[in-house]
Amino acid sequence: MFKLIKIAFLGAIGMVFAATAYADFTFVSWGGAYTMSQQKGYIDTWGPVKDGSTKVSVENYNGGLGEVKAQVESGNVTWDVVDILPVDAINGCDEGLLEELDFSSWEKAPNGDSFLDSIPENGTGVSGTISPCAAPQIWWTYVVIFDPKAFPGKKPKRMKDFFDVEKFPGKRGVHTWPQAILEMALVADGVKPNKVNKILQSTGGTDRAFAKLEELKGHVVHWSAGAQPLELVSSGEVVMSIVYNGRAGAAILSEGASFDYIWEGQVLDGDWVAIPKGSKNKAEAIEFLKHATTCASQAEQAKYITYGPMRSCGNDIIKKNEPWFHNGIAVLPHMPTTKKRMKKSVVTDPVWWADHNAELKEQWAAWMAGNK
Amino acid sequence: MALPTYTTTGQRIGYYTYLFYCGLVFFFLIAPIFMIVPLSFNQSPFFGFTPEMLRFEPEAFSLRWYRQMLGICRPDDIITTVCTNKWMIGTKNSFIIGLAATFLATALGTTAALGLSRPHMPFKGTLMALLISPMIVPLIITAAGIFFFYAKFGLVGTYTGLILAHTALGTPFVVITVTATLTGFDTNLIRASQSLGADTMRTFFKVIMPLILPGVISGALFAFITSFDEVVVVLFLGSVEQQTIPRQMWSGIRQEISPVILCMATCLVILSIFLLTTVELLRRRAERLRGIRL
Amino acid sequence: MNQAAKAEILTTDGIPLKVSLRRAERINKFRAFALVLPLTLFIIITFVIPIIAMLTRSVDDKQINTVFPKTFELYKQWDRKELPTEEMYATMFGEIVNADKRAIGKASTRMNYSKSGWKSLIKKSKRKFKKIKEGPYKEQMIAVDKRWGEIGFWKALGEMADPITFGYFLNAVDLKYDSNKEIIRQPENRRIYNYTWYKTVKISVLVTLFCLILGYPIAYLLATLPLKYSNLLMIFVLLPFWTSLLVRTVSWIIILMKKGVFNSILVWAGIIADENRMQLIYNETGTLIAMTQILLPFMVLPLYAVMKTISPTYMRAALNLGAHPMHAFYRIYMPQTVPGISAGGLLVFVLAIGYFITPELVGGADGQLIGHWIAYHLKSTLNWGLCAALGTILLVVMLALYWVYNKVVGIENIKLG
Repeated sequence: MFKLIKIAFLGAIGMVFAATAYADFTFVSWGGAYTMSQQKGYIDTWGPVKDGSTKVSVENYNGGLGEVKAQVESGNVTWDVVDILPVDAINGCDEGLLEELDFSSWEKAPNGDSFLDSIPENGTGVSGTISPCAAPQIWWTYVVIFDPKAFPGKKPKRMKDFFDVEKFPGKRGVHTWPQAILEMALVADGVKPNKVNKILQSTGGTDRAFAKLEELKGHVVHWSAGAQPLELVSSGEVVMSIVYNGRAGAAILSEGASFDYIWEGQVLDGDWVAIPKGSKNKAEAIEFLKHATTCASQAEQAKYITYGPMRSCGNDIIKKNEPWFHNGIAVLPHMPTTKKRMKKSVVTDPVWWADHNAELKEQWAAWMAGNK
Repeated sequence: MALPTYTTTGQRIGYYTYLFYCGLVFFFLIAPIFMIVPLSFNQSPFFGFTPEMLRFEPEAFSLRWYRQMLGICRPDDIITTVCTNKWMIGTKNSFIIGLAATFLATALGTTAALGLSRPHMPFKGTLMALLISPMIVPLIITAAGIFFFYAKFGLVGTYTGLILAHTALGTPFVVITVTATLTGFDTNLIRASQSLGADTMRTFFKVIMPLILPGVISGALFAFITSFDEVVVVLFLGSVEQQTIPRQMWSGIRQEISPVILCMATCLVILSIFLLTTVELLRRRAERLRGIRL
Repeated sequence: MNQAAKAEILTTDGIPLKVSLRRAERINKFRAFALVLPLTLFIIITFVIPIIAMLTRSVDDKQINTVFPKTFELYKQWDRKELPTEEMYATMFGEIVNADKRAIGKASTRMNYSKSGWKSLIKKSKRKFKKIKEGPYKEQMIAVDKRWGEIGFWKALGEMADPITFGYFLNAVDLKYDSNKEIIRQPENRRIYNYTWYKTVKISVLVTLFCLILGYPIAYLLATLPLKYSNLLMIFVLLPFWTSLLVRTVSWIIILMKKGVFNSILVWAGIIADENRMQLIYNETGTLIAMTQILLPFMVLPLYAVMKTISPTYMRAALNLGAHPMHAFYRIYMPQTVPGISAGGLLVFVLAIGYFITPELVGGADGQLIGHWIAYHLKSTLNWGLCAALGTILLVVMLALYWVYNKVVGIENIKLG
């Protein structure tokens, strides 16, 4: 009997070990539908993968520089390309954890703009790359969606409608951290999107945002994980909610949900790709990044997720070839980065947030406690 | 249990109300665990019973989420999630960490319990309190303390770090169960063995071990499940390479609610049933043999 | 004398029996101790020391003092009314330029807690100060970033000037030092911890109460039923105990969601209308329901263990003497179960107060209990001092309860089903 158990047991362990695959190039990202889109858009379309000479393994992580730091400091760098947030890209580059990139030979835009110039300025002062270590990826946004059925008459159109509980009664879904909601409050308070960061960072800026938020008090349901807000809206628990736009896009395009967006005042944040310093496949990694940042690859990714390509030439390809989404639906109506929408959006300032995160999180928690 | 014949109607009603109440509580305890099992066979990507499921239409059920859990990909499975074997990697990690921690915890815990049960043990109460403290301190504090300390020695993000932490969390269970087994232990048996010429090791493995084995095994199972189920320490201490099953479930619930989680949950329920049965059988065996309650 | 010597019993080796026994005793003690030693050492090294080290972190402010020692020397002489002198600027300048990149990174993180903005200011300065070759430094520093000219930043340094600080503990209860190191309350819009403590304790107390209300009757049933039934029913308590915490949390999410099982049953039964589905999750209700179910076994098992030892004869005697069953139960049975109630109650309370996973997943904004903030400061803001201070307070509360538990029931009496 014991022997039998032993054999079964060892067999089980053996099988489990066999499940880990070997790979010679490691791409690290956030997981879920986003990583899937990167797999389809960048990895599967990459020459060395197509001809079978390289196998890319995809790993997930939870952001932050902790793992990169540990690898670089121990000298055993196992990651080759990592998808990171702006603040980590800036800090990682400053601290020498990421490889600096020379963009001069990277793909030019069809109109002749150099690589860096083809990452457009969007009315907020951010253009080109944010750090010499970071190659452009996508813009993702916090955007407001609503169920059109909840408003049979007039539909909310602008950020100030999100804050107007008299004209558009009903609960609002808001996340449990302060990012984006403060910027949105200022837009609702009449600040032009491209002035929001300046006002927010000036003296009294956050007070103004919180003062505007007072109008929402008692009308907010909070969500703490990206999957929740869509559930809140579709179940009618809230009439409008702030969501990650990629989630909303997936729900609409893949599952046939019916949501409308309020694009004005959406808060953009970027995702960048970088190479940890000392990557064993540095040359290959650079080639991969060059491929991943071509206009064609950037557009290809948008077939699977509604995050906006950072290079506007990606948008142009989509525009010409609609319906672009992989299941034959037009994707541009759900893209946050069309020229028109970019003008109405705020790009979050990662450096300022790194400074004020803790303080504002506490203030926001205090606000949430009063939201009864 | 039948009521005596002299009970009044009022008491009778009271008693049945009480039984009904108890039934509800038992239902409250057990229903959530079994409810996920049918849902894990859902064809749709939603977290609830579809009308088709309630009508028992065969098309409403499928194994697609189990396939995804095993990392088997088919093109017709909707492409909303990337096909990964992260659950299998999680399983591997959970077993590596769980088994190593269990082994260490059992070895250390059993030895300590043998010492604690000796009649001459000094400072018994204090030592016992110290040894079972990992079970009492809130996990979040343990995790934070361990994170700071292990970071100094480069143990964060390593298997070693997690195994050490989980060993510490698991030992109290071994100490408690083995000490309980030893309370009814007849020390004359040791003397008999020694007087017959057996050395210490031989006495241990031939006389003591077989008698305390049920306690050791159930202690080991407790230690294993503690590690296997633990997520807070893994959350703080583990890097991507040490993602265990609970860790995957944690990020799964937060990020991409997919019925794959339910499949994994179903597997875990089966595992817990298996472990519970083993422990119960061992306990009853010990009870039958020597009247000891673990 | 002679008689005493005669009375001394000798062993066959000729050693007095007393001595020999004492020696044997000593050897026994030593052996017992040797057996316990490995685990004791292991627990001390891998568990106790880390926790103690964390406690010290809650008052530790040494790191920053190793980066800016001279500046802090000068700081003590500064009047804090107007901007510091050129000398202090120059010292600060020198210490920023010469500091090790990582040390100053850590220091700037620390400085940022006392005033938001220090982090980027130090970072920017470290980068740009390289270009400044000679003094006077004051104007040049202000030219690099005008924040160097704001007195608020300089004043905020005050709370870091000592290598030991109680600032983190103050933060943990919504107080802080002002620039003169007087203790004042946090500005109203940042008072969050007292509320969180209150919420954490409230939820823990409620969960403990609910567990008692639900657990007591079933523990009684289990203890009084014949063994063959109670063993079977015991599975209902033990299986949840053995089932993964996350599994149970997931199932509560499914049950309590708006379109979840519970609401759907109510709608189907016609008790509520489809559009009036109840919000049972992502709020306090959900947290309470899920935590009660998850912690219930920890209440039932100690209660059961105590009830099992209570002889039914007392109750019979009381009934025999004419007491009403309820009265007899209340006066005779209940008092005997107090050790079980306190054991279960304290166990559940201690577990609940440190809970993190379940409230975080099912609690929405109400789920941000103290565990959430400990994890947040540990992982996100890296304000490890505050994290440690919160943990220390929690640990002290917990140890106090543990002490009571030990007094009431004795630690050795913990049973595991």
